[in-house]
Amino acid sequence: MARPAVRIQVVEFGVLVGLALLVTRAAQVQILHGRRWAEEAQAQRTERIVLQARRGTLYDRHGTPLAVTQETYHVGIAPNELRDPATDGALISRRLGLTARTWQQALRRRYAYFAGPYSALEVQPLRSVRGVHLESVLNRFYPDPAVARATIGRLGDDGLGASGLERTLDSLLAGRAGAAVVLKDRAGREYESPARVIAPPVPGLDVVLTLDLELQEIAQRALDDALRRMDADAGDVVMLDPATGEVLALASRQRDGSARPSAFTDTFEPGSLAKIFAAAALLSLRRVASTDQVSGEGGKWRVLGRTITDEDPQPSLTLADAIRVSSNIAIAKFAARLTAEEQYAALRDFGFGALTGIEFPAEATGRLRPPSEWTRPSAASLAMGYELSVTPIQVAMAYGALANDGLLLQPTLIREVRSAGGGLRYRHRPEPVRRVVSPAVAAALRNLLRGVVERGTGTEAALTNFPVAAKTGTARRVVNGRYAAGEYTASFAALFPADQPQLVLVVKIDNPHKGSYFAAQTAAPVTRSMLEQALAARTVALDRARLSTAAPRAATAPADDDGGLVPYVVPWPYQPDSAGVGPRRAVPDVAGVGMREAVRTLHRRGFRVSLRGWGVAEHTWPAAGDSAAAGSMVTLFADPYAAVRVRARGPAPPRRGPRR
Amino acid sequence: MTKGRHWVALWLAAFLVTTWLVYARQTAAIRAARELADLRARRANMDGHRADLERRIRAAESRAVLVPRAQARLGLHLPSDSEIVLVPAPSGSH
Repeated sequence: MARPAVRIQVVEFGVLVGLALLVTRAAQVQILHGRRWAEEAQAQRTERIVLQARRGTLYDRHGTPLAVTQETYHVGIAPNELRDPATDGALISRRLGLTARTWQQALRRRYAYFAGPYSALEVQPLRSVRGVHLESVLNRFYPDPAVARATIGRLGDDGLGASGLERTLDSLLAGRAGAAVVLKDRAGREYESPARVIAPPVPGLDVVLTLDLELQEIAQRALDDALRRMDADAGDVVMLDPATGEVLALASRQRDGSARPSAFTDTFEPGSLAKIFAAAALLSLRRVASTDQVSGEGGKWRVLGRTITDEDPQPSLTLADAIRVSSNIAIAKFAARLTAEEQYAALRDFGFGALTGIEFPAEATGRLRPPSEWTRPSAASLAMGYELSVTPIQVAMAYGALANDGLLLQPTLIREVRSAGGGLRYRHRPEPVRRVVSPAVAAALRNLLRGVVERGTGTEAALTNFPVAAKTGTARRVVNGRYAAGEYTASFAALFPADQPQLVLVVKIDNPHKGSYFAAQTAAPVTRSMLEQALAARTVALDRARLSTAAPRAATAPADDDGGLVPYVVPWPYQPDSAGVGPRRAVPDVAGVGMREAVRTLHRRGFRVSLRGWGVAEHTWPAAGDSAAAGSMVTLFADPYAAVRVRARGPAPPRRGPRR
Repeated sequence: MTKGRHWVALWLAAFLVTTWLVYARQTAAIRAARELADLRARRANMDGHRADLERRIRAAESRAVLVPRAQARLGLHLPSDSEIVLVPAPSGSH
């Protein structure tokens, strides 16, 4: 037996070896593999989550939300965690709209998941139920899903814009997702500890569209009524402001009730709508005098192996008569005074055969063949609006050029872009494309169009007190490359009022089956109905100050003469809606001020005020610091918590100019 | 010996105080997180409620609802343009 001292040395050596092994292993774990183990531990205890960015809101021009982002929920149920499966089950089934069978199936699973998404209101009573796990997710919500559906578009399953403006504006609306790290327990459940935010989400920008909700509603209802009444295949309505190119309303409808953006994507032969463009070329190039007349040929004229007919034969016609009664023969004869290049250039200048440049993901160019591809009758056909295909938005912009003293503008659907805090990032300014005709020629052409409504084919669109300038168009439809018998497109383009027009309306009705197929009896009355409704509406983008002076016949036909009719009552002293007449003034900053004081301040500056919300003034449209015409409408947005936000935000930043 | 015990007691006390501080801070943070989550839930609920009310108001205000009711119940009609009188603004009214 060894001596005690030796035994102690052996034990000491053993302990030392053990310690050395321990230190070596510790060094191996901590130093050599330390990073890997640390990462593994981190992964077990933490999870990196994506913080969704709030998608920007789409507003109409008056600040009414058209598309908003809201928190919704997916619901997870852990049946074994429920305190009282019977009672809780009844509540959960009721709130989530589950059938008894679905609920029984859910109870048999370890964890049941219902994607929904469910609104905050639906899941509110479930928050206190043990075993119910809510997962919040931001979702797009359309307060009135039927309004301008095809124009606004929708999101795809990936949350990105899939169609319409949601797609075009995706980069502006989407914002930037953030990231955070949350702690988890061994079972992978998140601790109720605050997440560590690595990158905060950046909300998307808000976009104010040019659409006017009330005009949009008027257009959609009028189109729906017309299609039903006429048993038509489809239809489109476009309304725009000719002075700015802003599209105010866009309605498209198919027979089955579906809506696709056919005002941008579907082309048609405009027929007589295009006669005014031949007249524009003739007047601009001085190829016709107001007294020049051509023979009406008794309503039937054979030329270049083709017979041209008129619905309303006249013995002889001036250019004004040709437009007024929509004479094919006369316009074909007058157009023969133009060379092919001149006729082509005129149509091209008005924007046909080219994209308008509107901010929409899909747009058709239409068809306008160059003179090298024309056949012998092409010149006459083009003067009558055949051998040419256009979209309703192209027609609206071309007529807008006539209304805008000959200046063709680029159409737009975007009025303003604002940051989530309300700061202005972009404001649309009218973007001229080119001068198409001189102001004098444009005025002469408007006069020709006025004759159409007063004594021509467009009398069904005439208003008693307001002059309207317009043109009818009834064209045969091409089906499978041939003109189909008995199929027509009825269209109508109008400028309202005829002097200093504020509104361009284009109505197109495809294939009306019931009653007349002529635009004079189909599209023209629809236009009048929409104009009457627009006049009676409170908030539509019409300048009533200018309208009141553009109603010469009102003086000769006072409302008192209409026995039993109740006049539309306007407040006195009358204050005009907007623009043009009054001097421009800076909009005062009323953020954080009480509602009453804010309204007083705006009134003192000479603005009219439209209120949105209640509480404390938050911001205005136009924004503080922007200029607006005295007497124009300023929308005041209020919020009960605005004062807190305004204090937190600090003073309003200096106004930034538009980006382009 | 006594001096050594004091040191041990002091270290123990310091350890307990530190532990208590960590515990208190964690508890407060978790309580604040719960309150925050509750407030977020309440806010989401109120947002949802507001959106629902706005949708119903919008639907009730729409022409599709108002016009037929005004015609049927009150005998009103959409005015033709001859029934609409726009009064010219007197000069200098701004």
